[in-house]
Formats: sequence, C-alpha cells, structure tokens
Amino acid sequence: MSDTFNTDTKAYRAKKIIRSVLTYAFLFLIAVIVLIPFYWMILTSLKSQTLIEEIPPLLFIKPSQWDIGNYRSLFALVESGMREGEPLFPFFTYLRNTVVVSIITTIGTTITTILAAFAFSRLNFKGRDLVFAILLSTMMIPGEIFILTNFLTIVKLNLYSENQTYVQVLTALTVPFMTSVFYTFYLRQAFKQIPNELYYAAKVDGTTDFGYLLRVMIPVASPTIFTIIILNSMGAWSAYVWPEMVTMQDSFRLVSNGLRGAFTDTTGRTDFGQQMAATTLVTLPLLILFFTFRKQIMRGVSRSGIKG
Amino acid sequence: METKNNWKAWLYLAPMLLLMSVFTFYPLFNAFIISFYKGYRPLNGTIEGYTLLENYLVILNRPQFWVAMKNTFVITFVSVPISIIVSLLIAVALKSIPKFSKIFQTIFFLPYVTNSIAVGMTFAVIFSRDYGFVNVVLGWFGIDAIDWIGGTSNWWSQMAALLVFVIWESLAFKILVFTSGMQNIDKQYYDAAKIDSASKWTVFRRITVPLLSPIILYISITSMIGALKSYNSVIGLFGAKMGSPADSMMTVVAFVYRYREKFASKGYYSYAAAAAIILFLITLVFSLIQSAVSKKRIHY
Amino acid sequence: MEIRMVNLTKIFTSKNRKEVHAVDHVDLTIPAGKLIGLLGPSGCGKSTTLYLIAGLLKQNEGQIYFGDDEVSEMPPEKRGIGLVFQNYALYPHFTVRENILFPLQNLRVPKEEAKQRTYEMAKLVGLEEMLDRKPKELSGGQQQRVAIARALVKKPRVLLLDEPLSNLDARLRLQTREEIKRIQRETGITTVFVTHDQEEAMSISDEIVVMKDGVIQQKGHPQDVYDHPDNLFVAKFLGSPQINVFDASIENKKVVIDGMPVGDTELPDQKLIVGIRPEGFAVDKTKKSPLKFEIDLVETIGRDTTLVIEVTAEESSLLDKKTFKAIVEAENRIQPKDVVHFIVKPEKMHLFDLQGKRL
Repeated sequence: MSDTFNTDTKAYRAKKIIRSVLTYAFLFLIAVIVLIPFYWMILTSLKSQTLIEEIPPLLFIKPSQWDIGNYRSLFALVESGMREGEPLFPFFTYLRNTVVVSIITTIGTTITTILAAFAFSRLNFKGRDLVFAILLSTMMIPGEIFILTNFLTIVKLNLYSENQTYVQVLTALTVPFMTSVFYTFYLRQAFKQIPNELYYAAKVDGTTDFGYLLRVMIPVASPTIFTIIILNSMGAWSAYVWPEMVTMQDSFRLVSNGLRGAFTDTTGRTDFGQQMAATTLVTLPLLILFFTFRKQIMRGVSRSGIKG
Repeated sequence: METKNNWKAWLYLAPMLLLMSVFTFYPLFNAFIISFYKGYRPLNGTIEGYTLLENYLVILNRPQFWVAMKNTFVITFVSVPISIIVSLLIAVALKSIPKFSKIFQTIFFLPYVTNSIAVGMTFAVIFSRDYGFVNVVLGWFGIDAIDWIGGTSNWWSQMAALLVFVIWESLAFKILVFTSGMQNIDKQYYDAAKIDSASKWTVFRRITVPLLSPIILYISITSMIGALKSYNSVIGLFGAKMGSPADSMMTVVAFVYRYREKFASKGYYSYAAAAAIILFLITLVFSLIQSAVSKKRIHY
Repeated sequence: MEIRMVNLTKIFTSKNRKEVHAVDHVDLTIPAGKLIGLLGPSGCGKSTTLYLIAGLLKQNEGQIYFGDDEVSEMPPEKRGIGLVFQNYALYPHFTVRENILFPLQNLRVPKEEAKQRTYEMAKLVGLEEMLDRKPKELSGGQQQRVAIARALVKKPRVLLLDEPLSNLDARLRLQTREEIKRIQRETGITTVFVTHDQEEAMSISDEIVVMKDGVIQQKGHPQDVYDHPDNLFVAKFLGSPQINVFDASIENKKVVIDGMPVGDTELPDQKLIVGIRPEGFAVDKTKKSPLKFEIDLVETIGRDTTLVIEVTAEESSLLDKKTFKAIVEAENRIQPKDVVHFIVKPEKMHLFDLQGKRL
C-alpha cells in the first residue's frame, strides 16, 4: 500500500522528491562511512611496500597493482627471538584454537541452555520465577567482577602455570562459558510459544518429559536453536580479555588476542600492510559466516532487543 | 499443570546452575569479600587482615583512576546519546524508502559481525597522520593533516578518534533493534495520522518516538552499561599502550585489569576488586537514575 | 457534500503475478447528507472502495469527486475526510482528549478554539467525563466513540467508517448503530460505512450498496433492494433466514416446483431459478392448495413460527441446502409431521434466469 500521489500543487511534489533524494543521500553516506574501514583494511593489505609509503595514501589501486606480499610475509617464519621458527602471524594456529574453543563452548552452551530453557518454560516448580529473576539480574552485572575471581579459580585449579598444557588452556578457555542466561531467556521465549496442547497430547501418548523435549520441542524450536548456535560461535571470535589472561603461550592464543599480540611483539615501525593483511584474515571468516547466515543472525539479534 | 516436577526441574537446571555457581555467583560475592581484605596474596590465599574502606580509598586517591574515570565518562556520555539519535534517524530513513532497504540494512549491520580488535587496528590506520584516510579527506577541504593518535597527538584528537570508532561500532545493533521495533508498530496508526493531517516530523515526534520509547529506554540503559565497560575498543585502537602518552586513554575497566596483572603481588588484587565494585556501583546508580527519570515519559 | 466515483478501478497484484480487480470500474454517486451502507461478503471490494475514497489507496483508473472538487489525485490529508478504522487506531499513548485534539493541532487550529471543539465533540459522543483517560482504560464501545469524535472534530466533508460494529459484542452493536444514526442525523454529514452484516446495513442506512467481486450488484433504499432484488446474489445476501432457492420451470403460465404450482406468470415456458422468502409462505387453512409439505421441525418464538421442512436430494429441487424454511403466523399451531398446505405470496416470489439475473 505504498502509493505515491501526484498532487495538485507543484511545490508539494517538489518537496516530496527533494525529501526522497535527501533520504537516499543520507543513507548512502552512512553506508559509505560504514564500509570505509573494510575497504581501507583490504586496500592497505594489498599495497606493496612502495605503494604504502605514498603520501598522501592512495585511495585506489588497480588490480594489476595488487600485491599479496603482505599476506605471504605473515606466514614467513620468524628469524630470531622468542618465536624463532614460527610464522610471523600464525593465523592457522589462532584459527584452530578459536574454532576448537568455539565448538566446545557452543556445544556446552547449547546443551545447558536447552535443558534450562525447558525447565523454565515447560515445568512448574517451586521457586521457578524467583530463580529466573535472579538469573536475569546477573545480566546487569559487569563481567569484570566475575573475571577477577574466575582467574583465581583457574589458577587454583592449576590450569594456568608455567607448564600450561593445551588441554589445560582449553579447559580454562571453555568451561566458564558453557552457559548463557541470555540464550536461556531467548530460547525460553521460543519454547513458550509451543502450545500446551501439544504437550498434553504427547503425555497422553505416553511420552516422557525428556522425550517430549527431544522429539517435539527441539525440532519445533530449531530455528531459534540454530540462531543461538551461530551467534555463540561468533562470540569466540571477539573474545579478547579472557584469552589474553589465561593463555601462557603464543600458540594458545585466539584470533583476537593473537592479532594484537603478534604486532606488539615485533619491534620497530608498525608495518601497516602486514597488520591489515592479518586483520583481513581475521575478519574474513566472520564475514563469510555472516553472509551465509545473514537472516538468522539478524533475526536473532533483533529479537533479543525487542523482548528485552 | 503438574506441580510435582520439583526435583526433576532442578535436574534440568543443574548443569547451568552448577556452572553459574562457580563462575557467576561465587565470583560476585568473592569480589566484594576480596575488596575488604588487607594484604591479600591470591596465590597462597593468605591475608593480613580486613579493612572496610582502605582499598577503596587507595583507588580513589590514584590520579590514574580519575584519568580512567574521565575517559570512561566521556566515552559513555558522548557516544551513547549520539549513536542513539543517529541510529533512530537511520531507522526512520530506512522505513521511508521503498527500495533497497534490505541492502542498506545488511550493510549497516556489518560492524556487528567484526571483532573490536581487528577493526580497531584498521581505524588506527585510518587515523594515521601520514597514511590515513581521514587526513586525505581533510586535505580535500584544505585542512592540514592532524596527528590523531600518534606520538605528537593530544588527548582531544585521540578521544575524537576513539569516539568515532566507538560510535561506528555501536550503530549496527541499535539500527537493527529500532528497525524491528518500528516494524512492530501497527501500520494503522500511521494511516490514522495521515487522515489527521500530521506532517512527517509530527508523526516522528509524537507517534513513532513515543511508541518506541520502551525500546529506546532499553537501548539507552544497555548501551550506557556497555559503554561504561569500554575496554576492547581502546585496546583495538591504541594497543596495549592505551594512548600517547601511555595509559592516557585508559578506561576504568583497563584500570581494573592493570591491577589484576599484578596478581602475584600482595594486596593488588584487592585494589582491582575495589575498582571493579566502584564501577559496578556507578553503573547501578546511573541505571536507576535513568529508569526513574524515564518512568513518566515511557508509554507501555 | 456528494461523493461521486467514476469508473473507479483498483487492481492488486499478488505474489504469483495474479491480478485481482478489487474494485472493478465502479460508478457510484453517494448523495449528500445521507448515511450509506456498503455491504457485501469479505473480499467484495467494499473496504477497498472506502480506502480509495479516503485516499489511503490510489486508484488504477477512474476519478473521485467530492461535490465539484476532483480529489482523485489528492493525498488523504487534503481531502477533508474523517475515517473511523475497524480497530479504532486510537493513539495508545494519548489521552482521549489528546486523541481528539491531534487533528486540530495538525491543522493549526488556535488553541482555545481547539479546546472548545474537542469538548463539544466529546459531548456529542457522550464521553465528556472520560477526556483524561487513556484508550486502554475504555471499553470497546467507548473507544469507538472516541474514534468517531476524532474523525468528526475537524468538521470533515465526508465521514467514513470501516466495519464499525464488528468488534463489539451483540448488545453493544444494537446500541452503537443507533448512536451512529443519531450522530449522522445531528451533524448532517455525508457518511459511508462498510459492513458484511446485512441486518446492520439495512437497519440504519438511508441507502445500501451491495457489492460482490469489486462490482456493484444493486443499490437503493434498503426495503426496495430487499423487496426487488436484481439478482440471485442480492436476494440471497439480504434477509435472515436466507431466501429459499429452488430449481423450477414455467409451464403454461404457471411457475412449477417439484410438480407443484407456486404462482402465476406472464413469462414464456423455460427453466429458471425461483427464490421464495420464508415469510412468503402462508398457511392455506382451506387445505385446498396443491402445494403441500410434511413439516419436520417447528421453531416457535412467540411472535411467529418457523417451519423447517427437510428434503432429500433426489426428490427435491431445493438448491444449496437440505432444508427450507417458512415463517408463518403463530396461531396456526402446527406440529411436526403435520402436512401443511401453503400459498405463496406473489410479491415474495422472485424469478431469476439460470445465470441468476432477475426475470
């Protein structure tokens, strides 16, 4: 029903057109502003050393001028110092670590979330609303408070020491993050939308609660669960503080703290080309994930805002 | 509805509650307790005594703490209002264009799917004095290159760059939430407003914004809480040095973590805890103020 | 202010490229100062027509005139109309007063005058005590009156109502439709309302317009349209219980159903469709009439008696249903299983050709 009108006065019509043009111009400008960092990132990463040194910097380089030398140098082995013999930017190591952590925490979170959301949405038990309210309120507390003690806990459990093993660091990186009040709340909403009648019918058919959860609720709520899985996997990508605190060695790092770490370790002038190449590598998987699952991601994030 | 589910329900909740007890509830209380220890050595678990306010006073007397507070407050109270207003306008603009809105929405959401550190480093390049995009654009208007974040830069340009970065990052989520919120407003109100001869601006001011007000309040509070916790953005843009001179762009959270780094030494963990709790209290106070002030103007 | 629609057409294209002519080349003049009911089943185009008059939809073809002004190209805010939405569309965050005041503020009416007019409107609809309440504190009927007040406060040329009674419970419906009639009389404003309830339309309209599939089937005074339906659809749509419809034939100037004569006619012999209103059956106390049926069910409401006659498919030419109804005077004291002789009142018998057009 979006019809436009030609009206009796020319001024009105002109005003409408001007308004339309201005709106598009505004949105276009914002879009450009949003895209510039991505563009600059990729552009800089493709500039050879000489091109980078151009002042003022070039805004555009022809495909024939593209140079992947920066990317190559990331995988070149370090000649001396602490990390001798390793690639300058051990992207695949960081990637592997991030993926592993992501998978483990996602599996853990999905399980605990499904179980808890089931209890809150379907079961009736004493103290249910109180517990739920308490859990919700924890979302308001800044994470720094938890991190302080959690770090001590990790140390006490001997997971952070001079000879930290890979298993130990993985434990430290994953176990604290196997639950989420936020996703529990979100899934509970979705579970609540399943009509009671389905439950009663299943009970009459002799299904157990757990069977109902497994065979009815999970399939019906699978879009939501899928969204949770995706959003959760993306979380590991952005984690910086915690990984930085609990990883002993460079080879244990995740992409975020690996990124920053790798370039504060090198001495001398910052090599922007290399930096941007590394940044591009780190950003790429997320972008691919986004474009593949765009709808689910955007739907999941917007729902969280509304129902909040 | 059956009520004898009690023990079964707790069974389902057990994994979550167990993990949360260790990593959420216990830490919450522990943080308070630690802030009251004197001479705490976390590695041994030994303390030399208790004190009510000593740790807090130490923090409040540190000039660096106030540097961090200043930075955090500026980030919060400048970036949050600006990003809310801008994202509201964008959401309204999106609603009024018949074509391409999906494409724009996707583009606008990109900043959300990146990680702060990576993009921060990119912004560092963009704001670089010699190699950055910003100075190129300034050059088009005949303005001399500014050293935004380099060795000779001042606090103002560094904060300006940081604010630009923070606002850039924070638009995506807000735009998405506001857009969804607007879609949930019954179209009939807009038809009625047409019949009532309301101008586009009147519709925005007296219908869209009031009906969106619960969401705006929610965004306002959560954004403020998030901004008070700023840390990743500073690390992303400035690196571990956090500004030039070092630590001049530190935030309160960064301050807390700085003390945490000294966990092996006596008493420092208590300082970290005290600082974290001060931040928590500030966050709480501002959230309550916001809620109270908006009670009257929010329509449910 | 007379409303004139000329060749008005609105086409909607669905997702699979199918075109639907919601309003199909409609010519309609609505006389000034009258209350007109636009009536029809869902999907007939009545709401679309209303929205075209309002300007919320733009027509694909045709023109609309308010009096001498052509408004076809004008946006809604310039046409001077008041519209009461089906769900009232009251601004939930405004009080009743603010809701009614809103149009006047947008039209830049001076504050004092606006306050005065708001109060007058509230009085007109009987809500002057509720001015500071919010819509959610009001009942459905009250909300609707606020919607009416808001529509009227700007002294529009035309008042439009979209299914004004369908959200109200039965008791309120009767009350409210009288209200609408009263308000229309008092203000004298040209009013068009849309409904799918024929009883509602019939009871308060000065004129009704029956629509189907985007085309006007018939228009006129309610009683005229009821007594003289132009086609089978109109005959079936008006009247409760519904008119009884039979396959019939004309033989030797007699209309014959199932071998039984029901009336005389001048028309030539042919097969046709006959509609007989339930009240068109009168009991033949002399028991001489050849038209007789065994009664299956009797429903008495005191004022009259409804006789329900069941038929089986093979033995009868009754169309569409398994029973037909006759409404007779209660004194007849008829019981089930009685065989009753009927006479058909000629004015209640309507003849249609096999395509449904009146003969």
